[in-house]
Amino acid sequence: MSSQPNLLEKVIAFVDERVGLKTLQAKMLNEPVPGGSRWAYIFGSVLLFIFIMQAVTGILLMFYYVPSADHAYASTQYIIHEVDYGWFLLSYHFWGSSAMVIMVFAHMSQVFLWGAYKSPREMIWLVGLALFGIVMGFGFTGYLLPWDQRAYWATTVGVEIMDKTPIVGDFMARFLKGGATPGQMTLSRFFVIHVMILPAALMGLAGLHIFLFRKAGPAGPFRGTPEELKAKTDYFFPRQIWKDMVAMGAVFATICSLAFIEPVVLLEEATPDPGEYHPEPEWYFLFLFQLLRLKIFSGEFGQFLGAIAIPGVFMALLAALPFIDRSPERNIFKRPVALIGWIVVMATILIFTVSAIINREFLD
Amino acid sequence: MHQPRLKSKVRCTDREVGEITHVIVDPLSHEVSHIVVGGNGGGGRQIPMSEVQSIADDLVQLRTASGALTQFPPLKREDYVTTHEVEIAHLEDHLHVESGEVLVPLPTLERNVPRRTFFMNLTHAIGALVALPLAFPVLKYLMKPMYSPFDNAWLKVGNVNRIKTEDVGVQFKYKKKVKEAFMPEADVDKNVWLLKASPDVLEEVYKGKDMEFRDQAGRLVWTNKKDVPYVVFSGKCPHLGCGYKWRKVPKLGKEIFLCPCHLSIYEPSGKVLDGPAPRPLDTLPIRVDAGGNVEIIDMEFKAGTKAQTRIV
Repeated sequence: MSSQPNLLEKVIAFVDERVGLKTLQAKMLNEPVPGGSRWAYIFGSVLLFIFIMQAVTGILLMFYYVPSADHAYASTQYIIHEVDYGWFLLSYHFWGSSAMVIMVFAHMSQVFLWGAYKSPREMIWLVGLALFGIVMGFGFTGYLLPWDQRAYWATTVGVEIMDKTPIVGDFMARFLKGGATPGQMTLSRFFVIHVMILPAALMGLAGLHIFLFRKAGPAGPFRGTPEELKAKTDYFFPRQIWKDMVAMGAVFATICSLAFIEPVVLLEEATPDPGEYHPEPEWYFLFLFQLLRLKIFSGEFGQFLGAIAIPGVFMALLAALPFIDRSPERNIFKRPVALIGWIVVMATILIFTVSAIINREFLD
Repeated sequence: MHQPRLKSKVRCTDREVGEITHVIVDPLSHEVSHIVVGGNGGGGRQIPMSEVQSIADDLVQLRTASGALTQFPPLKREDYVTTHEVEIAHLEDHLHVESGEVLVPLPTLERNVPRRTFFMNLTHAIGALVALPLAFPVLKYLMKPMYSPFDNAWLKVGNVNRIKTEDVGVQFKYKKKVKEAFMPEADVDKNVWLLKASPDVLEEVYKGKDMEFRDQAGRLVWTNKKDVPYVVFSGKCPHLGCGYKWRKVPKLGKEIFLCPCHLSIYEPSGKVLDGPAPRPLDTLPIRVDAGGNVEIIDMEFKAGTKAQTRIV
């Protein structure tokens, strides 16, 4: 073997000298994971992966999609029926959004149950909540774009809910709709929010999220003495990255399978006349939808309570969580209020979602 | 105790053995755990801090004799990474292993601190100067389509001869020409529900009074006479704006208006029977000519409020 570097090595050395790639790569990969890598830590990486795939498929969809009230539906149908593999990319994007919501719930649950939001990680939690809002915003704005009946009615009801915010509600709803009722202006606005504003916001905040995470370091398990944790500690690469990659592969395979088994089928083109269609939001908003059917949320005040006050208070509580819960105890089995709270919230969401699905039969 | 510094001389109980070539830091406690002594007899041994007796400016005193140093393992460099190659939060914050601060001189021009503050403030001022005048135009730009005047034109929706039975909701679909901003004029599908009301239901709708409709300026647009038996309801559910249907509900044993979204139920008169709706169905202006042709003014009202607020 000659001691002279070959051309490739020279190129790599040239770039490294100017960029500092090797140090950067070392910094990225050599992050100690206290207590060792775990399957419980995969969700953040998986979310990043899903987002990148949503960006890629989203950009590809924009090659054909036209955000205008008289072409949105036709161009989406064209993607589904005429463009080679258009049905697949659209369906991947559709199922990817559901995967994102599921992973957001999993990620938040993991952080909550592990007590990882506690000092000094409060800011990571707060930025994470903002990212949660952005993911829901993606789901809501993206839903309108195919401009079919499902899209139109989910938006109509969704914006009406926003309208119930005291004082600014009417302005906010009109601002978002670009008028009194959904139309071209609404489509234009939702489009630009979906493809420009939210992606930019998500990239910025996700960057901040990861930066803050790296600054504070991983929280690690909620049990174990420092010596035990030190003995089991490994670096982000390779064991944790391996687990992350396996999870990404599984998520990718699942989304692809769903896209094949249940490809997106549009309903009729959007009109203010629902015909025989029974409006319903996407599954992850179903519990809120079902909640608003309750008698206690009837009338003007009840509606404000169910649509604005309760979700608002819930989000405010989540934001205040690291400042209310100041005990350093992270073991979930020694935090009964947190554990019961989590179970109650998850059970409520589950019960309301299931009852919304059962209610469908009653309507037909 | 101070932290041992790189390049410090290391002395055993009997003699000087070399200088510190490396410092090893514990990743959890962030404290120096070992020093590595190189040169003159040190042999690159890894010596735990417990063997260090004292640390002076440039001298580290060990408790061991030089002959005993061989009991410590030599440094295996490949088992370690440098602090530049690893990301451990706040690791470098309280490491003082370099001999003193490492300084870089400020350029001569940067030694006037007040001027730096002035330029920082100037940067903010110019930023504000750019952003503030834009705020209002941008807001107005985005608000352009938000408020538009009401359209009080009469629209033909069908003929009452379709209605066979009293107090039964009949859907009338019609097209409304809508010209939105730059878009070509489009026919938008809409619908209303018509009712040939029995005297009892009519009484419930009008409560013995004619119903007046006014425009934004408060001028009278139309009056629905209380004795005209045809009543028309806006197709939009006053709860959250879905489209409702006319349904036979076996449980109630009668026919009612039902909104499939949040399950608001209305009597034929539009009165809320059950569900979350805050007010009855919205009655629209209607006129029926001698031939039974129905015309309406297409109005929409804000959903979800007790009061009826017109928005279209």
